[in-house]
Amino acid sequence: MKRLRAIFGFWLALCLCLSPLAAAEGGGASYTAADYRSAAEDILRWKKAENSAGGELLSGSLLAKAGTTAADWYAIGLGRWGFADDYEAYRAMLEQAVSSRYAESGGLSPVKATEWHRIILALLAAGGDPTAAAREGEGKTIDLVADGTYNRGKTASLGRQGLNGWIWALIALDAMRYPVPDGAYNTREDMIGEILRRQLADGGFALTGQEADPDMTAMAVQALAPYCDDEKGITFTELEGRETVKTVKTAVDEALSCLSALQEDTGDYASWGTRNVESTAQVAIALCCLGIDPLTDSRFIKNGRTVVDGVMLYRQADGGFAHSYTADPENPDAQPGVSNSMAGEQVLCALNALWRQREGLRTLYDFLPEAGEGGEVSAAFTDADRETIRELDGKANTDDYPTVVALLDKLSRTADFEGKEDCLARLRNLKDRIDGIQREIDDINALVLVRLYPFEQLSLGDKPLLDGLIRRHDALDATDQRKIDRWEDVLRAKAQVDSQWRALLIGATLTLLGAMCLLLLIRRVRRRRTQKRRAMDELAARCEDEE
Amino acid sequence: MKKDLLAAFFILLAAAVLLSGTRIQSVEEYYLTHVDDITAESETVFISIRCDTIRQNYDKLDKELREGDYLPADGVILPATEVVLRPGDTVFDQLDRVARANRIPMEYQGADENGFGSVYIQGIQYLYEYSCGPLSGWMYRVNGEFPGYGCSRYVLEDGDVVEWVYTCDLGRDIGSQEIEGGGGTS
Repeated sequence: MKRLRAIFGFWLALCLCLSPLAAAEGGGASYTAADYRSAAEDILRWKKAENSAGGELLSGSLLAKAGTTAADWYAIGLGRWGFADDYEAYRAMLEQAVSSRYAESGGLSPVKATEWHRIILALLAAGGDPTAAAREGEGKTIDLVADGTYNRGKTASLGRQGLNGWIWALIALDAMRYPVPDGAYNTREDMIGEILRRQLADGGFALTGQEADPDMTAMAVQALAPYCDDEKGITFTELEGRETVKTVKTAVDEALSCLSALQEDTGDYASWGTRNVESTAQVAIALCCLGIDPLTDSRFIKNGRTVVDGVMLYRQADGGFAHSYTADPENPDAQPGVSNSMAGEQVLCALNALWRQREGLRTLYDFLPEAGEGGEVSAAFTDADRETIRELDGKANTDDYPTVVALLDKLSRTADFEGKEDCLARLRNLKDRIDGIQREIDDINALVLVRLYPFEQLSLGDKPLLDGLIRRHDALDATDQRKIDRWEDVLRAKAQVDSQWRALLIGATLTLLGAMCLLLLIRRVRRRRTQKRRAMDELAARCEDEE
Repeated sequence: MKKDLLAAFFILLAAAVLLSGTRIQSVEEYYLTHVDDITAESETVFISIRCDTIRQNYDKLDKELREGDYLPADGVILPATEVVLRPGDTVFDQLDRVARANRIPMEYQGADENGFGSVYIQGIQYLYEYSCGPLSGWMYRVNGEFPGYGCSRYVLEDGDVVEWVYTCDLGRDIGSQEIEGGGGTS
């Protein structure tokens, strides 16, 4: 009996061990939605530790950088996951950044349309509305979708920065299926055509050259994914000038064949010669956008390894993801085998795309609400918030800006309570004061740049300018003082002008002393002469007397 | 009389010497104002800024830049200049200093404002990335090689030769096989 039990136990154990392998039909490890979720939570934990922020990712220095690539992709990934965090603060900061940039230069970037596209996605992820991103003044709202996608061409071509401009315009436009009005500079068809005409002979896409790059190919597929079912072909002019008609489905199939061929046997992808996680992540996202299951589609399983296995190869013990394992001459900022921020944000998005597929939710860049979602987030103004205002009232500096902006936004969504008007007034006051400080910092920096250089041309006439600069600098908070660029140059200029001034003073004093001495000398000489004359006269008189 | 003459003479001599531009400075002031003086013992680097590739790609150049008078005809924005190397100077520190001293407009994205975590030079002398086609921008060479990483991460050494060069073809027209930014989204 014991022996039978032992044999039975052995076979049971064996079957249990083999079943995970059997479950993955194509080979490779199988992953559940929970696996993706916990890997994403690990990345966030890693990033929070790196940001040295407390409980929330959208806080501290990351929040302060809303509107830049240093923060936006983390916000997008986080928003798509929906983990609890301070999305309202991020949205408020994004809207502030948009307002400021439009006020300063009429737009987000003179050259890169992708600034608009990324911020459109970040705003959507943070619960904002990119078509009414901020008020420009006189009640005019800023429509980032119009300015950044279909009407961008009025200012500068979407293709100015190359293929990325067209790809991301389309992704941003389709994020909420925004309609393109009549008379728009570029239609969706224009954008699709511009992407298709840049397809290479091998079916892939690249920024330059004739060889497909997995990142660009994957992103092109992500942009084209919503149009695969369109039967109508798109007419476009090839780069050589010949007009062609092609369906998006054909183009995407060609791109998929290309991507399939590029996959390494370890499951991952290499870009410009270095195997890395970002390229792999982008391919994973592309497949999910098309509704292809990366774990079972045989085109994307090499040597038993799937694209997801490829991504997981780069997972580090601290929860983050490394860019690559070999030094990458294309990205030497990333240390091999060390968790990297850019790797983290792209994998965060890829994991979300995979999780959404498992859970039957909308794809990564489809921001339309799921059934049953929606509604504005109302807030409750707490005592802690009131305490924060009190603390800031005395000594707010530019580092406190995100806190003030976030609180103002929170207050605007809070139902009326006693003291609300007072809090609003104080917060607006604080915001104005910090805006003023920022203007002062920018002013000082501009003045230094224009008036201080070159040092050889500084003269005594510049002393009031330098004294003024120093007075203004010293009036600032220590935190704000650090935002003055190259302050040591001002100190040097002051030392230079001070010693010129000192030389002048000493010279003047000595000249005065010298003149006084000379005068005294002249007086002495004259006195002696008169004395001598008197003595001579006396002598002559005495001689006369004697005679 | 002789004593008077002698006294007068010495006073005038002292005044002449002092007024001839002697500066009285503290040690700190002296260091501050002479930190960039090149002496036999100074550690120095050479830095230059050029945009020769514009000439072969004139048709791709922004209209405003073509019409205006911003760019030098010979492509030399800054000829090779010897500059004092301060301890810990990065390529970015040197570019910033040299741009300020020579009044060359320079725009950059701070290290905390992008996903790479290092300073990115957007424009020098009104020539920006994409000003001459979608593959154009600024790159830098040190001792003939392209480090590729953010210029605020490359720490310079005595004798290094830094060249800032504008490319119109992702680096291939200036001798780089490498291309900026692997695996990054904008």
